[in-house]
Amino acid sequence: MSQNYLKVKGLSKKFGNVVALNNFSLEVARGELVTLLGPSGCGKTTALRLVAGLERQDSGTIFLESRDLTLIPAHHRNMGMVFQAYSLFPNLTVAENVAFGLQMRKVDRSARIKKAHELLDLVGLDSQSARFPHQLSGGQQQRVALARALAFEPEILLLDEPLSALDAQVRSNLREEIRRLQLSLGTTTLFVTHDQEEAMSISDRVGVMNEGRLEQIDTPDDLYNHPKNVFIANFVGLMNQVSGTKTGKSVSVFGANLKVKNEVVTDGRVLVYIRPEFVELECTESDADAKVISRLFLGSVSQVICQLNDGTIVHSLLSSRMSAEFAPGIRVKIRVNEDEVLVSNG
Amino acid sequence: MALQTSKRFSTWIGGFLLVVPSIAAVTVFVYGMIVWTIKISMTDRISASVKEPKFVGFQNYTNLLSDTRFTHAFENLVKFTFVFIVGTTIAGFIMALLLEKGIKGEGFFRSFYLYPLAISFIAMGTVWNWLLNSNVDADAGGLNLLLQKVGLGFLQNSWYLSENGAAYALALPAIWQMAGYVLALFLAGFRGIPDDLREAARVDGASEAKIYRYVLFPQLTPTLFTVLIILGHVSMKVFDLIIGINGKSYVTQVVAVYMWESTFDQRNYAKGTAIAVVLLLLIALIIIPYLRWVIKQENENR
Repeated sequence: MSQNYLKVKGLSKKFGNVVALNNFSLEVARGELVTLLGPSGCGKTTALRLVAGLERQDSGTIFLESRDLTLIPAHHRNMGMVFQAYSLFPNLTVAENVAFGLQMRKVDRSARIKKAHELLDLVGLDSQSARFPHQLSGGQQQRVALARALAFEPEILLLDEPLSALDAQVRSNLREEIRRLQLSLGTTTLFVTHDQEEAMSISDRVGVMNEGRLEQIDTPDDLYNHPKNVFIANFVGLMNQVSGTKTGKSVSVFGANLKVKNEVVTDGRVLVYIRPEFVELECTESDADAKVISRLFLGSVSQVICQLNDGTIVHSLLSSRMSAEFAPGIRVKIRVNEDEVLVSNG
Repeated sequence: MALQTSKRFSTWIGGFLLVVPSIAAVTVFVYGMIVWTIKISMTDRISASVKEPKFVGFQNYTNLLSDTRFTHAFENLVKFTFVFIVGTTIAGFIMALLLEKGIKGEGFFRSFYLYPLAISFIAMGTVWNWLLNSNVDADAGGLNLLLQKVGLGFLQNSWYLSENGAAYALALPAIWQMAGYVLALFLAGFRGIPDDLREAARVDGASEAKIYRYVLFPQLTPTLFTVLIILGHVSMKVFDLIIGINGKSYVTQVVAVYMWESTFDQRNYAKGTAIAVVLLLLIALIIIPYLRWVIKQENENR
């Protein structure tokens, strides 16, 4: 995929003394769904609002192919946006809401009503077209908002935490629906969320943000398996932190010597980062590392929670069939089934 | 069952006792007095000393129709109301529009324009009596002098003393007084619209002007309705402002002033109460549909 459809370069934005976005750059390919993920206050929404033109950057540029959008006002950018609070126009019917963008583009009435029905049909709400927003449920309203944002065939679809206000069940349904629509229409999409599962499940690539910067942008798989730094490792997925001893390029932990992935760490006592699926347990009486505290049965896999002698908690993800023996109180030996690990001076 | 009933009764009775005094007072002094007024308006009672006034049905009301002083006062009220409502609504709305963007010093301007509401009618009437001085040219004062100074001397007129324009001239101080209140209502209306909606309209391709036209203004319809009702009933009852500026002079007389004159100067209670009842009906004509609308809205939102 050539990643040069949307090109955001060196965006910075301050609100008073607070740096919301610090030299933020991002490239998105045509038809791609890229998610900005991060804790609240990390600048992801600011980045989205700058792309939409709802805020003005202090510095940096925004290009759409060869078109410079940097100084173009929001209403000339041709971007569709879905907000967390639905933000439908309460004085307009569902169909009129969807047709609003077309009306602003002076599309004649019959054409825009036809298009509105088409879009509402796509989100499964054509039967509700004559109703008013307040007569619909939250999930329905957000689907109308999605139809409204797509009706005028925007260059880019911007989604600002669109699922955060919804119930769990509705949320996961709509999440899949957004992905289905996005793939079938081929709409380039920028999605902002603080919910990891959401980000990882529907994105082509996920950019993790922290303190106004983009820490890493990669496919969900790479982000999980090859985090570039400790922040990403901790933020994405469940991560164990145990202490080990680093000498040169290797670190010793649970009696094994593993290779160190990141090298800017001084030797001596370090924190070692290990995913739960790489932690294997073995029942033992004599040289135990830890004691099982509890076992959470999750279906095909179970999560076994152990406590090391120094009090540290370690999670292990094991197949449920193989882990039935690890009842609370059992003493275990830990083996790390991984060759290379991230470490930090903790 | 019996226990439950008595329990419900005991929680209910305490609250009821607390509201009894106000219910009794309102029943006697508002609704009771209305009934009493209607009763007097159907008699021939023309002084306090008549022992047994005679029932005359709607005689007093039909007399009003041929009473040129009443029709004159009524006509004045209609003229005044029209200019007052249109002027106040437009002035208040424009001021709200200028403030709604959240400019610096919004709080100051809001209080600044709202302040005239706090001034007593008599003080205000006296000031506007001076401002609306009817002398022109060399003798001019107040607004006429101001008009001369800014080169609009041809607009000078005798204000509330003019034959045809008196009622309109009196709407000026009323607009001045109430515009700040309307400003506050519209500003609250604008504030009630979430910022998200403007942003949604903006990314959908609406220019600033179109955001107002298609998104913001339509949502202010309920506010506009409220404003019209409030101004309408204030206008119907206008009395002290008129008295403060021009006393009970014929030229600026409105229905409430004529009612006062008939009742307390002429001591014609039958006629005075009939005028009062007409005024009450006029106000009811405005307020009752409004209350029904408010209650309907509340039920829909529940």
